[in-house]
Amino acid sequence: MNLDGLDPGILGPAFVAGLLVLTTHIPLGQEVIRRGIIFIDLAIAQFAGVGVILAATLGFETHGIEVQAIALTSALVGAALLDLMERRVGEYQEALIGVSFVLAATASILLLAGNPQGGEHLRELLVGQILWVEWHQLVIPAVISVTVILSWHFLPRLLRGHGFYFLFALSITASVQLVGVYLVFASLIIPALATIRIEDSQRATILALVTGALAYALGLTLSAVMDLPSGASIVWVMAVCGVLVASLSRWLPLFAREL
Amino acid sequence: MNRSIYCALLLICSIEAGASLKVFTCESEWAALTKTIGGDLVNVFSATSANQDPHFIEARPSLIARVRRADLLVCSGAGLEAGWLPLLLRKSANPKVQPGTSGHFIATSHVNLLEKPATIDRSRGDVHAAGNPHVHLDPDRMLIIGRALRDRIGQLRPESAAQLDDNFRDFENELTSMLERHSVEILKLAGTNIVVHHNSWVYLTDWLQLNQVATIEPKPGIPPTSSFLASLVGQLSSISVKYIIRAGYQNPRASKWLAGRIETPVKALPYSPENWETEGALILWYKRILEALVLKGEPE
Repeated sequence: MNLDGLDPGILGPAFVAGLLVLTTHIPLGQEVIRRGIIFIDLAIAQFAGVGVILAATLGFETHGIEVQAIALTSALVGAALLDLMERRVGEYQEALIGVSFVLAATASILLLAGNPQGGEHLRELLVGQILWVEWHQLVIPAVISVTVILSWHFLPRLLRGHGFYFLFALSITASVQLVGVYLVFASLIIPALATIRIEDSQRATILALVTGALAYALGLTLSAVMDLPSGASIVWVMAVCGVLVASLSRWLPLFAREL
Repeated sequence: MNRSIYCALLLICSIEAGASLKVFTCESEWAALTKTIGGDLVNVFSATSANQDPHFIEARPSLIARVRRADLLVCSGAGLEAGWLPLLLRKSANPKVQPGTSGHFIATSHVNLLEKPATIDRSRGDVHAAGNPHVHLDPDRMLIIGRALRDRIGQLRPESAAQLDDNFRDFENELTSMLERHSVEILKLAGTNIVVHHNSWVYLTDWLQLNQVATIEPKPGIPPTSSFLASLVGQLSSISVKYIIRAGYQNPRASKWLAGRIETPVKALPYSPENWETEGALILWYKRILEALVLKGEPE
C-alpha cells in the first residue's frame, strides 16, 4: 500500500488522455469488430514506425513535428493500402492485415540494422506511457477526437466506407504515442466488445464509454495504491469491467434498456 | 478531535521534513553509495533494482510522487536514463532537483568517461558526446564520485558536514582494505581474455585490466547477423578466452549459444549491488564480482 501516488497532478493528465482515447476508439472499435479486423491497430502503428525509421535511414534529421508528419503520412499510406486490399480481396482482409503487421514490424528491424539510432524514435512511437502525459500534449489528441466525433456524427457513411481507414490511421498514430499500443488495443476492443449485445447503438456507445472511463479511473488508482505500472494495470481492470458489464447487460436486460 | 489529529499530522510531517534528506536514485549502486555516505541523514529511494535494465522503466505513479518530494536526485547520466529521466523530471515539476540545481547530482559528470566517440554525432541533435555511462563498475571512480556526493550532501545539510566526512572515510578505508586483501588475485586477473554480451563492462575491464576480445551483440537491442556470429566463432577459435560475461538481467541465450561453440564458461555477474539497504552493500558487491572471476569458472 502506498498513497503517495494518489495525486491528481500525477493521475489527472493520464485520466484525461484515457478519456480522449476512448472517445475515438469506441466508435472505431465497434466498426473494427463489425468488419472483423481487430489487429488493424497494431498494423497501423507499425506502419507509422517504419516511416519514421525509413526517414532516419535516408538521412533526414527529424525532430518533433517532422517525426509526427512522417509517422502520420506513413500510417495514411498504410491505411490506403489496406483500403485497396479490402476492395480487391476483402474476404481475406484479416489475414492480410496480419501479414502487413509482421512485414512492417520486421521491416523496421531490417532498417534499424544499419541505423540503430532510429530505434529510439520507434520506441517513442510504439510504447508511449500514459503516466508521462502532460496537459499540453493533450491539445492535438483533443483536436483529433473532435474531428473524428464530428465526422462520425455528421458523416456516418464516411466511417462505414473508405473514410474509415483514414480516420483510423489519424486516431491510432496519435493515441499510440500517448498511451502505448496495449492500452490502444484494449480501449479499442474491450468496451466495444462488452457492449456488443446491446441493440440500441447509442446506448451501447454510452455504456462502452462508461466502462472504459471506469477502467481508466480504477486502473490508475490501483496502480497508484499498489505501486504497479499504470498501463498494464488499466488493461486488466478494463478486462474485468468489460466482463462485468457484458454479464450485467446480458442477464439483466432491463439494465441495458433503462440506462 | 479533528484539531488534535491535524496537530499530530503536522507534527509528524515537520519531524520528517527536518530529519532526513529525501534522495531519489536512478540505480541501486547510487542508492547504496548515498546510504553509505548519508547514513541516518538520508532517506533513499531507488527507481530500479539490481536485476533491472536501467535503460528502460515502466512508469508508476509512485516514481513521480517520489521525485516530486525529493531533495536530491542521484543518477548515472551520460544518456543511460535518457529514455525516462527527463520525462520524470518534467512530470514531477520539482524545482529542487531539476538539471543545474544543487539537488541534481549526475555521477558521470564527476569522472572521466571511457569510449567517448571521436566525432560528435549530429543526427542526435544534442552536442554531448557522453561516453560509456556504466562507471560504477570501477571502485576508483566510485570513490571519486563518493567524495563529490559527500560534498553535495554537505552543501544541502551543512550542519552535518563532519558526520558525512566520517562516513565517507569509513567507506574509503573499508573499500581500499578489501581491495588490498585481494590484490594478488586482482593482479592475476590482468590480461585475462573475456567476451562480453553487451559493451557495458568497459569500466570493469579498465579496473581489472581484463582483455575484452569481442562483443556478442555489437549494437544494443539489434540481434547480431549470422555473418557476424560466424566471424566471431572463427575469431575466437584461435584465441583462448577464459569467460563469457553477461549481466544478471540480460537474456542468457546469446551467451549460452556462444559458450557451446567455443567451450568457454559463462559468468553471470551482478551488474549492480543487490540489497542496497544493507550495510556494506557496495563493498560486498565488488567482492562478489572478484570472487566470481577468480574462482574456477563452472558454467553458470
